[in-house]
Amino acid sequence: MGSGNDMLEVYIYEGNSLLEQLEAIVLDAEQVNTFSEENVNEIFRIMHTLKGSSAMMEFNSLATVAHRIEDLFFIIRDNSMDVVSEENRPALFDLLFQAIDFFRTEIGKIEADEPLSNDFGTLLPNVNSLIAKISGEEAPADAPAAAPAAAAGQPAQEAAQASSEGMADFPYELRVFFDEGCGMENLRAFMLVTSIRDFCAESDFLFEPADVENNAATAEQICDTGFLLRFAHAEDREKAIPVVRSSGSIRTYQPHDYHPEPAPEAAETAEAHAAPSPSVKHTAAQHAGGGSSTQASRPKESLISVNLSKLDQLSAIVGEIVITESMVTGSPDLAGLNLDSFSKSARQLRKLTDELQDISMSLRMIPVSSTFQKMNRIVRDMCKKLNKSAKLTLVGEDTEMDKTIVDGIGDTIMHMIRNSMDHGIEETQEERIKAGKDPEGEIILSAQDTGSEVIIQIQDDGQGVDDEKVLQKAIKSGIASPDQDYSHREILNFLMMPGFSTNTDVTEFSGRGVGMDVVKKSVEDLGGTVSISSEQGKGMSTTLRIPLTMAIMDGMKVSVGNSIFTIPIHNIRQSFKVSQANILRDSVEGEMIHIMDNYYPIIRAKELYNIEGGEDCIDNGILLWLESGDCSYCLFVDELLGQQQIVVKPLPAYVNNFDIKNYGITGCSILGDGNISIILDVRNLYMAACDR
Amino acid sequence: MDIMTKESALGNQETAAEGAAGDAAVNSRKYLIFIADDLYLGVDAEYVVEILNNHTITPLPMTPHYIRGIFNMRGQIIPILDIRLKLGKPSADDNLLIVISYNETQIGIVVDSVDQMVDIPDDIILPMPSKSPQRLVSGMCTLPNSSKTMLVLDCEQLLAHD
Repeated sequence: MGSGNDMLEVYIYEGNSLLEQLEAIVLDAEQVNTFSEENVNEIFRIMHTLKGSSAMMEFNSLATVAHRIEDLFFIIRDNSMDVVSEENRPALFDLLFQAIDFFRTEIGKIEADEPLSNDFGTLLPNVNSLIAKISGEEAPADAPAAAPAAAAGQPAQEAAQASSEGMADFPYELRVFFDEGCGMENLRAFMLVTSIRDFCAESDFLFEPADVENNAATAEQICDTGFLLRFAHAEDREKAIPVVRSSGSIRTYQPHDYHPEPAPEAAETAEAHAAPSPSVKHTAAQHAGGGSSTQASRPKESLISVNLSKLDQLSAIVGEIVITESMVTGSPDLAGLNLDSFSKSARQLRKLTDELQDISMSLRMIPVSSTFQKMNRIVRDMCKKLNKSAKLTLVGEDTEMDKTIVDGIGDTIMHMIRNSMDHGIEETQEERIKAGKDPEGEIILSAQDTGSEVIIQIQDDGQGVDDEKVLQKAIKSGIASPDQDYSHREILNFLMMPGFSTNTDVTEFSGRGVGMDVVKKSVEDLGGTVSISSEQGKGMSTTLRIPLTMAIMDGMKVSVGNSIFTIPIHNIRQSFKVSQANILRDSVEGEMIHIMDNYYPIIRAKELYNIEGGEDCIDNGILLWLESGDCSYCLFVDELLGQQQIVVKPLPAYVNNFDIKNYGITGCSILGDGNISIILDVRNLYMAACDR
Repeated sequence: MDIMTKESALGNQETAAEGAAGDAAVNSRKYLIFIADDLYLGVDAEYVVEILNNHTITPLPMTPHYIRGIFNMRGQIIPILDIRLKLGKPSADDNLLIVISYNETQIGIVVDSVDQMVDIPDDIILPMPSKSPQRLVSGMCTLPNSSKTMLVLDCEQLLAHD
């Protein structure tokens, strides 16, 4: 495909990540009701980049908006945050959120190949009026001389420094090294100078050697010592860095500050402090590679985007390699042979394939943080709209999950958060105070990786579920029957039935009764489960359990009759033989066993699955004590066949439609001899057995 | 494993279909005819992937009785459906497997035996006479050169979940 498409993809990707960064900054800043100097610079840079790339792609409406916001932050940056008075700050934050939304929709349209709208709504006028407001206020507040010089920088400071000689005027250095052997270094340097002139007045920066334009001999000097740019203002250098970075053939660059003996002013030291940070960031980016999970410092250079289908192909092939390897090394032809060097090489091969496997699996894993961070925004917006006050606490946001899961749960989490905000958190602060709670509500969003599954929990400390109300509603909508008693748990389950919504008013956020059942459906599509717990007056929590997609896992092969099943090894606590005498019976003929001071039900695989053949007598088979989350039981099978690493294959869609997942049959794997073993899901198997 | 590929089956059909190939004006399709409980069923050869006569079925619990299980076809997991059981007939023992691929679903069909490949012009396929109780069939025709009647297998219905 043409490079145009690639460029567009890069643009969309970049745009989205910049917006995410921006949103995170604004959300944080709103908490403290101000922007730090660093934040202002960052926002300025983001807007500048957005403006540049949008203009390049000829998305003029985006460029216009970005340009105006850049202007706004230009003023703020030059005059510090004080220029925006307290009463204007909420407007500033709202404006930025509005802008983020605008960019998001437009970028979404670009992605979907739809025409862009040229209607900015209230956005541009808002920006303009805010600019007018703050520049209007600024004039009397600042020293009168400074007002017209908004663009030219801080003359006062400049004057103070003029006394010190030479370089002190241009203390902010940027040394640029070109790629080795790229040739014509002097002209490259000159081109750099020209592009810097675009935004920086000629009097505000110097460069060395100065005669690059005409003197070809300077090329050598640049090769040796680099090309030195000197700026009068830190912000100009800040702007130059992206320019340098984006021009071709740049090997590296180093910002450096020239310090005249005593740091002249407090203001300047602050700037000097801020200035080295890009260099630190940059080197960190070069050395650390991936690793860090924070959005802001994520180094762009070390990321590439890969089509997901390629990764799937890769992990499929790696899976095949693992199987083939065990087929080769375990080949019956080798039986009885004494092959020293073969086993040695085989061990080595095993080690390498193990590594390959780990890496190929980690490729698809991404942290949930970006999805979690988005929720901050939801909570903020809903607080404003509903006039409630609540905060969101994130726990375990660096938990990594398969990308498809992360993408799949975003809407679900959002829905739950909205539910909590809408129905959970009390209408007024007085209600909360009366109930003895912190006036500010709290929603805790947590993620936890247990090794076999990811547990995501959305917890609020609101009013909880009113059982009576839910039951009434359930009866009214025909889900429950009026003359039956329901347990607390059953009542909570009504919430997840299709077409159920307790809130009689349809709100903008929580929708119209397609709430929890949709959540349940989408989690089940990922192979997971949803459970709700609630205590009236104390709050409600929803737990999503999603199995980690493990293409390759360790399993225990067991046989029942002629069938071979595989049980994930991490679910097995113990296996043991028992005699009939140890089996207890409950009132409904269910079998139980007493282990370690506790009673556990026994499920016979043969009976659950109606398998022909297989052991009936408990003395001849073996019990496996299985555990998954809160369910713990013993499964009776004929025989253990041994532990093996298996590649999980999904069952064909055709048979999956028979709902066998709910009976604990989740997948299958091909054994070394070409036979198929069926993989059991410990939790669903238990549920199925309980329902019988 | 004994594999009779589509190609070799196509070879047989060359002679069988000569009679029908004469009038080229009408569109015609190739059908693979197989026998299940004395019925001559034809499946559009376009859908046929492979014919196998040696396979190991892994039973899959909790599925309808006509699903015999799944099997491993060179790394692909393919469900196996017993057409006799699906038609409500008793299952037979020695079976042949026809693997078809329809709408991206692959499925193996257990049949008694494979008869031949024929070219059938579209216009001689007639709709089923009435609301016959016979499901899974979308039309029927008399085979050229013989008096047998072929029923056209409706893959859509075969794969539908009921």
